Amino acid sequence: MAILEIRHVSKFFGGLAANSGVSFEVAEGMVMGLIGPNGAGKTTLFNCITGYYPPSTGEVIFAGRRMNGLQPDRVCKLGMVRTWQKVRPLTNLSVLDNVIVGALCRTNSVKRARDIAAEQLRLVRLDHKNALAAGALPIGERKKLEVARVLATRPKLLLLDEVMGGLNPAESEEIIRLILDIRHAGITQMVIEHDMKAIMRLSDRIVVLNSGAKLAEGPPEEIVRDPRVIEAYLGPGE
Amino acid sequence: MTNRAFRPAAPLIALVVGILLMLPLFVESTYALHMMILIFISVITGSSWNILGGYTGQYSVGHAAYFGVGAYTTMMLLQFRQVPPWYGVWAGAAAALVIALIIGSICFRLRGPYFVLASIAVAEIVRVSALNLKNITNGAEGILVTEIPPWTVGGATITDWQSKVPFYYVGLVFALVVILVSRLVRSSKLGYYFQAIREDQDAAHSLGINLTLYKNAALSISAIFTSLAGSLYAVYVGFIDPSTVLGLDLSVQILMIGIIGGVGTILGPVVGALVLVPLSEALRSNVIAQGLINSGLVREDSAVGAFLKENLAHAHVLIYGILVVIVILFMPDGVLGFVRRIAVKKAKA
Repeated sequence: MAILEIRHVSKFFGGLAANSGVSFEVAEGMVMGLIGPNGAGKTTLFNCITGYYPPSTGEVIFAGRRMNGLQPDRVCKLGMVRTWQKVRPLTNLSVLDNVIVGALCRTNSVKRARDIAAEQLRLVRLDHKNALAAGALPIGERKKLEVARVLATRPKLLLLDEVMGGLNPAESEEIIRLILDIRHAGITQMVIEHDMKAIMRLSDRIVVLNSGAKLAEGPPEEIVRDPRVIEAYLGPGE
Repeated sequence: MTNRAFRPAAPLIALVVGILLMLPLFVESTYALHMMILIFISVITGSSWNILGGYTGQYSVGHAAYFGVGAYTTMMLLQFRQVPPWYGVWAGAAAALVIALIIGSICFRLRGPYFVLASIAVAEIVRVSALNLKNITNGAEGILVTEIPPWTVGGATITDWQSKVPFYYVGLVFALVVILVSRLVRSSKLGYYFQAIREDQDAAHSLGINLTLYKNAALSISAIFTSLAGSLYAVYVGFIDPSTVLGLDLSVQILMIGIIGGVGTILGPVVGALVLVPLSEALRSNVIAQGLINSGLVREDSAVGAFLKENLAHAHVLIYGILVVIVILFMPDGVLGFVRRIAVKKAKA
């Protein structure tokens, strides 16, 4: 069953089409990879899905409900939450407090939120930094903090925007394992990633965007062999 | 560093509150009581501002609007409708809440510096309105209270408001309540959401925080308590006009109390009030020039002595401004943050 349906979504900025007529479905429980060259419109699509921009045309259907025009906070309450390509820690709050803010999405009790937050931080293996100010974390741990914080909102669908960007191989490996753990826990994920090896390993299915439009869709082993995808990434062959 | 360091212990708080409760029994100087009342009013306004500016990061430079609306509502009810101030205060708070929700719905569409400018503009609209609605507010003439009815409960007179002591206690209670509310807000869901908005609005929005709702909640709490200070001031001084209770300089003063002490901390505004109120009083009443002369540092009949005695009091706003700039330059976390940093350094050494 599809938990998310993107139907002919377009987004225009003036005359520029950042997304044009993108359609695909994300089945419950899967990891959907979203790839494409720089400027392909991946983050714009995330913004359209999570309520930061209203799509110019088309529809976003999440769990059977039309999401167009809903604000990001409503989208989060309904169970869809995103991370940021450029991480956004609440700098002056502690690591634990950052995640508590996420957990308060589902409870009014700070005490309960604290328990949920502590649990999520253990899950991402960041609990030894709980008392530290979020601004003091290095980039690898900031990415983990982002993931812990969105997990604390108890989402049905998680949208991860380049959580491995800027990480070293060991840190990337940790994030990959984390994504697989989250998949195991039954949470659907849509993942934007530039690291091809990682995305091939993680994704059940991949959508390729190019110049704002969908270029290809399929399981990873088909995508790597697709001549259109190869051309979009490497340029036309001789 | 977390804000949890350097938290005064419960016995210390009890001691300070106890001393403050007993103070009027020992202190007979009306000037001392007057200073204390001014400090209480500043603590109330600074702490109220801090809930919106310090916790939520929305720097209002228009808080005189809520102070003035409280003051005017209480005074108009007292003088024109003979409603005793202990009812008028709550009417003032309700009026401030209404104004806050109107201002919030306009200003919270804007972020950062644009919010600051809008908050100034809207407060000026309130001031100019009070100035021109002559048949309601008396306009520039202001409102002078001729008589405050004695406060009686079941035939027993609680106070006749003839001395400063009842105002002292009202100020003390209001100030303690504001500090307590600040404390409660900080450790609640509201506090977490306010601070998340301060740190990063977009991130807060994505985590399920309704920005408009929570910003308006912060403003409402802030406005209600600011109006209490305004009502207290009005009845205590017995006279208000648009420039004193609605002016931009009052808005700046409220902001300063929040910033100088330490933004976003519970005790910051208390420290701010304890620093700024005596400072501005000392500068206004020539005590500094007189002190320099009395201590023998400057001879009264010398040119410098004569100049200081003649001019220092007139320059109080200038000196006040320079001192504020120095504090902001050298103590970016406010006086309280500065003290804490030194305490931490000492502890490590």
